[in-house]
Amino acid sequence: MPDSLVSFIRILRSHNLPISPAETLDAVRIAALLGYEDKQRLRDGLGMALAKGDAERTQFDICFDRFFNPHKEAPALNTELVAASTAQAMPTQGRGAGGGSRSPVLQQAAAEDPATAALLETPLLEALLGGDHNALAVAISEASQRAGLPEIRLFTQKGLYRRRILAALGEEQLRAGIARLENRGSPAQEELKQYRDLLRAQVGDFIDQQYLLHAEGKNKRLIEDMLMQTRLSNIESGYMDRMEEMVRRMAKKLAARYAPRKRSAQRGQLDVRRTLNRGIAHDGLMFELRWRRIRRERPQVFALCDVSGSVASYSRFLLLFLYSLQDVLPRVRSFAFSNRLGEISDLFATHPPEKAIEIAQHSFGGATDYGNSLQDFVNLAFDDVRSGSTIIILGDARNNYGAARLDLLQKLYRRANRVIWLNPESKINWKTGDSEMIRYRSACHFTAECNNLKQLERLIEQLLKSVR
Amino acid sequence: MKTNDFPQLASVAAIQEGFESIGYICSDSIATAVYLASHLRKPVLVEGPPGVGKTELAKTCAQLLEVPLVRLQCYEGLDESKALYEWKYSKQLLYTQVLKEKLGDLLQGAHDLAESVERLHQFGDIFYSEEFLEPRPLLSAMQQEQGAVLLIDEVDKSDYEFEALLLEILSDYQVSIPEIGTVKARSAPMVFLTSNNTRDISDALKRRCLHLYIPFPSVALEERIVRSRVPDIDAELRHQLVAFVHSLRGLDLKKLPAISETIDWARSLLLLHAGKLDEALVRDTLNVLLKFEDDMESASAELPTLLREARGD
Repeated sequence: MPDSLVSFIRILRSHNLPISPAETLDAVRIAALLGYEDKQRLRDGLGMALAKGDAERTQFDICFDRFFNPHKEAPALNTELVAASTAQAMPTQGRGAGGGSRSPVLQQAAAEDPATAALLETPLLEALLGGDHNALAVAISEASQRAGLPEIRLFTQKGLYRRRILAALGEEQLRAGIARLENRGSPAQEELKQYRDLLRAQVGDFIDQQYLLHAEGKNKRLIEDMLMQTRLSNIESGYMDRMEEMVRRMAKKLAARYAPRKRSAQRGQLDVRRTLNRGIAHDGLMFELRWRRIRRERPQVFALCDVSGSVASYSRFLLLFLYSLQDVLPRVRSFAFSNRLGEISDLFATHPPEKAIEIAQHSFGGATDYGNSLQDFVNLAFDDVRSGSTIIILGDARNNYGAARLDLLQKLYRRANRVIWLNPESKINWKTGDSEMIRYRSACHFTAECNNLKQLERLIEQLLKSVR
Repeated sequence: MKTNDFPQLASVAAIQEGFESIGYICSDSIATAVYLASHLRKPVLVEGPPGVGKTELAKTCAQLLEVPLVRLQCYEGLDESKALYEWKYSKQLLYTQVLKEKLGDLLQGAHDLAESVERLHQFGDIFYSEEFLEPRPLLSAMQQEQGAVLLIDEVDKSDYEFEALLLEILSDYQVSIPEIGTVKARSAPMVFLTSNNTRDISDALKRRCLHLYIPFPSVALEERIVRSRVPDIDAELRHQLVAFVHSLRGLDLKKLPAISETIDWARSLLLLHAGKLDEALVRDTLNVLLKFEDDMESASAELPTLLREARGD
């Protein structure tokens, strides 16, 4: 059984549940303690150790049900068929010799033809005829192991695996048997066909479930990898929810890595222990005072985001990212601009990020004027920019041939710790047309092109390193 | 470190029965968590809405095992000197004074510096020893001979630094004190951490814990809880009031009524000699269940429908 537990954990991992080897060991011990009989209890127990949080728990429960009760959702074996055949078989001769129960039609067919009789003796047919749910389930799952079903990747592979599994189950013999009966015009062929269809349906259901179990997680990852490298403006709105979830997950990862730390500062409370410790060297006299360390003020981040049509979708992700990092960057002030600039931090305080970004877009969208917007920013927040501040500007620097006001950016550049310009356009285009990027670049500590999620993540990580 | 095997925790069913005998009615998953926690020696992180009995679980456990309950309430700024240990500074100061006086006697007859140092060495380092250690909750939980139940309440209110401090204690049941070394627990305490989800707990801490989510109980379970706490109440009324509280939890309220409020309400209804729920009675006693003016208003509007559901007409 540990084998199946390990493959269960592999499946959980493919569904994005981070499970460490230590937790795998815990799971094995839990399963040993609780046993496999009470599925509900096992689910509770394993869930406690393997899922860490609401979302993970939901995912865990889905996977658990698919993995440990794969046949729960499947329709019961064609009960009418079985009931009918047993009802007919019972009065005449009770249960058949092989444990299966056959209708008189099949009995007769078997009596007439030794090949058919042999066919009906096979374990597969016995399970089918006897309505033995468990035996059939076991047979299907063994056959699927042999056919390599856990390797299934794509939806289109279902047919292939279906054929392989049916072959491994011995469906060929069943088909041949039906053909033989058909040739002889035996009435038993109809009934046998029903059993064949039943078998096919069972295998089909099983494959559907295994596909969800094994391939869904992998496919999700494939799509996410693809999304990571797609230009943010090209991503279709249907993927937005998923993108936002990815951003949040990335932010969480970064937040854990760059969790705030205590830093030493000038003075705070008297540290009695260390003072006393020092005092020992001086005959117990405490003349060298030691102070407790206090936390240094965290640096402030100003994010200026272009929300005009062409760049809006990039801004959306930058802001989403920054606000998902609130634990690490608690003092993000955000500004939106196009032809003028305004602070939108309050929007984020009162609305969830998605909604806030939408409102900002609505109230500040328009043709871009960088000169004017920089002026607005200086008026609004210049006094708050300090040596510890980081200013991030996200925009394409296409100023519609207006005044660039480089002097304002230089003013900020001299005052702030870092000015970072993220440009969604690729570097080759920075020199073309109405782009002022080359000029603005002279007044930035760091410029980078940033047009997909992967680049954005890397840049944010650099930001976190530098503000620490 | 000694490991305790409590016969009270031999199986999930035994735990459930034991809890029930001291008046804590629990679901299967709660009992499973306690069972696993004691057998895997892992702490349990208990989450859930306020008032579902997270803290009560730890208390009940201590009562069942007949071991002391050590409780640590977390808050912002909690640090090791308040949670783990502190040196007894005044005693240490006194000690240096005494030492100074005795030093002359001690070193009498020593011929040179090397010999004096040798003599001093024989005394060992008492200055930083357990004698001068003032144990705070975490350390004192580990010093209990018979084991203890350690309740770290509202761990989400503490800082990240404090979480890091907990890691060593929760995985190995030991504490590193720089001046002394590593102090191991005499017997591993059973640890419960509770969280109200005001912030995300770090992954490192989560990894070390079993996760128990206690939701609001089902109608049947809550009826049993009320029966055990307010035994005198009429069965019909009990059913109605629990059903009513349940439908109340379906509304959008600031604070949903918890189990403790259901019990309080049952007690008030008992005092008022109520036979069945009627609208006037509920309206008059709604303040037992709901703690906000806004909630009372929105519930009042829905009252007739909720009552009809609860009474099953």
